[in-house]
Amino acid sequence: MILLETSNKILEETLRERFNSGPEHLLIKLADFDGVTYQIATPESKTQLVISMAMGCYDECQRYGADAILQREYGSLLVSTPEPGFAVTLKIDLEQLPATPEAKEQLVQQVAHLKRNALAAPFESAFVAQCEGRTTDLMAVHYRDAEAIYCQAQADRVTVIFSTVFKEETDRIFGKVFLQEFVDARRQPAIQNAPQVLYSAREPPLEIRGQPGLVDDENVGYVTFVLFPRHYATPQARNEAIGRLQLFRDYLHYHIKASKAYMHSRMRARVDQSLKVLNRAKPEQPGANKEKKTASGKTFRRM
Amino acid sequence: MTNHLPAVVIDNGTGYTKFGYSGNNDPQFIIPTSIAVRDSVGQAGSARGQTVTGNLASKRGIEDLDFFIGDEAVANAKTYSVHNPVRHGQVENWDLMEKFHQACLFQYLRCEPEDHHFLLTEPPLNAPENREYTAEIMFESFGVKGLYIAVQAVLALAASWTSGKGDQTLTGTVIDSGDGVTHVIPVAEGYVIGSSIKHIPIAGRDITYFVQQLLRERENSIPPEETMEVARRIKEMYSYVCPDIVREFRKYDVDPATWFKRHEFVHSVTKKPYHVDIGFERFLGPEIFFNPEIASSDFLTPLPEVVDGVIQSCPIDTRRGLYKNIVLSGGSTMYKDFGKRLQRDIKRFTDDRLRASETLAQHNLKMANSQDQVKAGQLEVKVVSHKKQRYAVWFGGSLLADTAEFYNCCHTKAQYEEYGPSIARYNKVFGSML
Repeated sequence: MILLETSNKILEETLRERFNSGPEHLLIKLADFDGVTYQIATPESKTQLVISMAMGCYDECQRYGADAILQREYGSLLVSTPEPGFAVTLKIDLEQLPATPEAKEQLVQQVAHLKRNALAAPFESAFVAQCEGRTTDLMAVHYRDAEAIYCQAQADRVTVIFSTVFKEETDRIFGKVFLQEFVDARRQPAIQNAPQVLYSAREPPLEIRGQPGLVDDENVGYVTFVLFPRHYATPQARNEAIGRLQLFRDYLHYHIKASKAYMHSRMRARVDQSLKVLNRAKPEQPGANKEKKTASGKTFRRM
Repeated sequence: MTNHLPAVVIDNGTGYTKFGYSGNNDPQFIIPTSIAVRDSVGQAGSARGQTVTGNLASKRGIEDLDFFIGDEAVANAKTYSVHNPVRHGQVENWDLMEKFHQACLFQYLRCEPEDHHFLLTEPPLNAPENREYTAEIMFESFGVKGLYIAVQAVLALAASWTSGKGDQTLTGTVIDSGDGVTHVIPVAEGYVIGSSIKHIPIAGRDITYFVQQLLRERENSIPPEETMEVARRIKEMYSYVCPDIVREFRKYDVDPATWFKRHEFVHSVTKKPYHVDIGFERFLGPEIFFNPEIASSDFLTPLPEVVDGVIQSCPIDTRRGLYKNIVLSGGSTMYKDFGKRLQRDIKRFTDDRLRASETLAQHNLKMANSQDQVKAGQLEVKVVSHKKQRYAVWFGGSLLADTAEFYNCCHTKAQYEEYGPSIARYNKVFGSML
């Protein structure tokens, strides 16, 4: 598992099960990356599935056109007034599902991408604007407490900047090594078309300098992606680019953790080896194995 | 509790791992505790960190991410080698366990571990070192916000509160029967009475083997490579516990039409259907808990006797509570009428004992020329079955982690950094060095 999936697995599996078996009372609360929480419930009747999502940065996404994207993706499923405490609510009538298994599966996938679609707004508007030759203002989405995505369409490119906070010092170092690797990896012939990645620790890049809410701290890092039209001109490429970009922060942290796990397994192996060496090096106790005499004159060896 | 994301509850069993977000009624995922890795990486060993692979350090790519867990691991068994990091309820290979957790969190639950609190479970009598290793993995690799390690038996007791029958106490005897082994664990006010715990080497897998053996003697329509799977399905779908074997046999003879069943199976590879007749194994399977001699010759004590013995070996002031609240947990206690039969059999033991002490006391009084009558008090024996029995441990954990107090009971990251992994030896709820 190198890449993270863009859809939510729990949503996906729960819906697939609901769509293919009888109605059942349901109340599930679950979470996703970046502090997103969902609730799947059947409040009115067992056939009315209500899926709500709470997202800290939804009002920001809304500003960049999230409502239109959700309307396009979910259409009539979207409930106009979301459940209290949630940003988006979908309602699915289990009695009016599409007939074919393929269509059902497509619906499952669509709903499982709820978070992705909501967060796609700033990227999509930037990509569209750039394709039409317009530029946009800098769009900021504070998707976590102290971290944000900035996205801007410029004359010939789209720039996406992430700020990320490393809670631990080791994480920061791992992250730095990891991000420097991006620069080197681009030299490989196979991935020369990949977007350019710049990394700066502490110092915010020029594009976002002067933005409110930037934290000046050792633990903050900024990653800049420069995307050219080849990355988002076709709809398929655009969809993939959006999915990857959104998950970049989680991807980075996942891989930092995976490398730590790998380091730990190496440390364990090393400790094991060293223990073996130590055991071999145990000095023979002088006199431990000497013959002793009992009172009756017999000799014995203490083992 | 407003700002907290739901806590993550993970129950690693020998056979299956149950995990999901707290506050729900069922675990979101129930997957086999298996991990499939490439042969060159992380060879399984018995002790901690046994990965004695010469080429571990020579790794240059991303081989360490090339693995599957759960059902995907089983599906990929042909090209990967499948390992079970948990044996007999204890984690044996920490390297694989760390990877297993990694995939659980990122691939399945999709949570950033730094934002969540975690509740993990441990078997009774778990070595404190194991608890430390767990804390190391959770805090060092994943940087979790908070961690609580709960004893499975106590969670199972907490889960039984939903049955609405007993009062909410943390005193009771837990019978936890999963796939590999059955534990009988007395718990008094949340403390496990370690010296009285008994394990019985009869559990789900043994029942499956026994059913398979019965089928093999009679049915010849089952393809040999499918017998295990067929036996398991029969066990899960048709088995029940009978009050009396002899009478049950007679019932089947008198009226075969209603009792004998027939089930159609489909061969997993050729997709050819075949029929299997299902008969006495319906009640004989679970019967091995009560009459183990029909299946094996090395363990011969029936479960009710073990339970009675366990309670008798506990401190005398706890025994009444332990008899009154016998809680079932795990998949192998799901058979119909299992609780009823167990209750009846244990009751027989206690009644016999009471009667014996009654006559003894009467006899002593006669010797003292008294005319008084001795009457022994009643002893209540109650076996609690409830709906959440199957994933009782997980459900108990989910209940616990949903309360506001849970967040105060966790070991936090700050504490870990201050004191190191030894904090995991200490349990805040009970305030003792466990």
